[in-house]
Amino acid sequence: MSEEGRDRPRFAWDFFVRRGLAVLAGAVFVYAGIAKVVDPMRFASDINNYQIIPWSIGVRLAFYLPWLEILCGLALIFRRLYLGGLSILTALISIFIVATIAAKIRGIDITCGCFGHASKNWSFTGHLALDLAILAALLALYFKVASGNRLQMLPNSC
Amino acid sequence: MRAILIRQVLWLVGLAFLPAIGQTLYYRGNAAWQQPPVDAAQVTVAQAKNWGAAVLWIDARPDEQFASAHIPGAMQLNEDDWTQLLPKVLAAWSPERKLIVYCSRQTCNASHAVAERLRNEDGLKNVYVLQGGWEEWQKSGQ
Repeated sequence: MSEEGRDRPRFAWDFFVRRGLAVLAGAVFVYAGIAKVVDPMRFASDINNYQIIPWSIGVRLAFYLPWLEILCGLALIFRRLYLGGLSILTALISIFIVATIAAKIRGIDITCGCFGHASKNWSFTGHLALDLAILAALLALYFKVASGNRLQMLPNSC
Repeated sequence: MRAILIRQVLWLVGLAFLPAIGQTLYYRGNAAWQQPPVDAAQVTVAQAKNWGAAVLWIDARPDEQFASAHIPGAMQLNEDDWTQLLPKVLAAWSPERKLIVYCSRQTCNASHAVAERLRNEDGLKNVYVLQGGWEEWQKSGQ
């Protein structure tokens, strides 16, 4: 069997895993965004409880961030503005994880509200585990794109 | 790749403003833009004290804070362990009792979230939030 022939199944498998991961991560963010869009004041209150930024800024972010989440999630699902969506979501979830851990260390009893009603009974550990899993998925997708681009830039010598 | 990345990020950041502005305009008369909205069902420590034995205290803080200290007779109920803790609260509750939920301080929202769920999901009446929370209770020298 030729080299190309042996590589084809691995390529297909790799492609489907990546697409599946991107669609799944995108869907999570679309869902999380919609859950916040329906009650922006509740989300503003959740942001306020982290005690990082003043209410007047938090309430404005509460009207903006959910839409950014939805658009970036859709970007991942439909592969339009894919790299931008991936980068923004990675940044957002990283900031959120740091803020959550910092709040916990400062002894602030936060309610996350990240996924609306669906996440109400989740523990802090459960939330954190999900967030870290999403971050890992996004980073894996990001580095796959970055390594793909680097390979394309190499001279075609082999 | 960097140029593409920056262009795409700017597109998404810009596009998200459109629905956000629309929603902001829709809410412009309702949202509390400068101050958080005040829960009408808040009570002060002094008011709560006047109610005496009719009060059933609900501590919405995390486990370790509840274990370290709490209002005498308070029952713990937080969103992390909602399903385990709720039955005990419901067993202690009776229609003539007033439930006062508290969390760490004025700015925490765990007490508001718990109070809202008790009212909306469990249909309990007379559910209040303690203004200033545990911090205010300690200041009052109880």
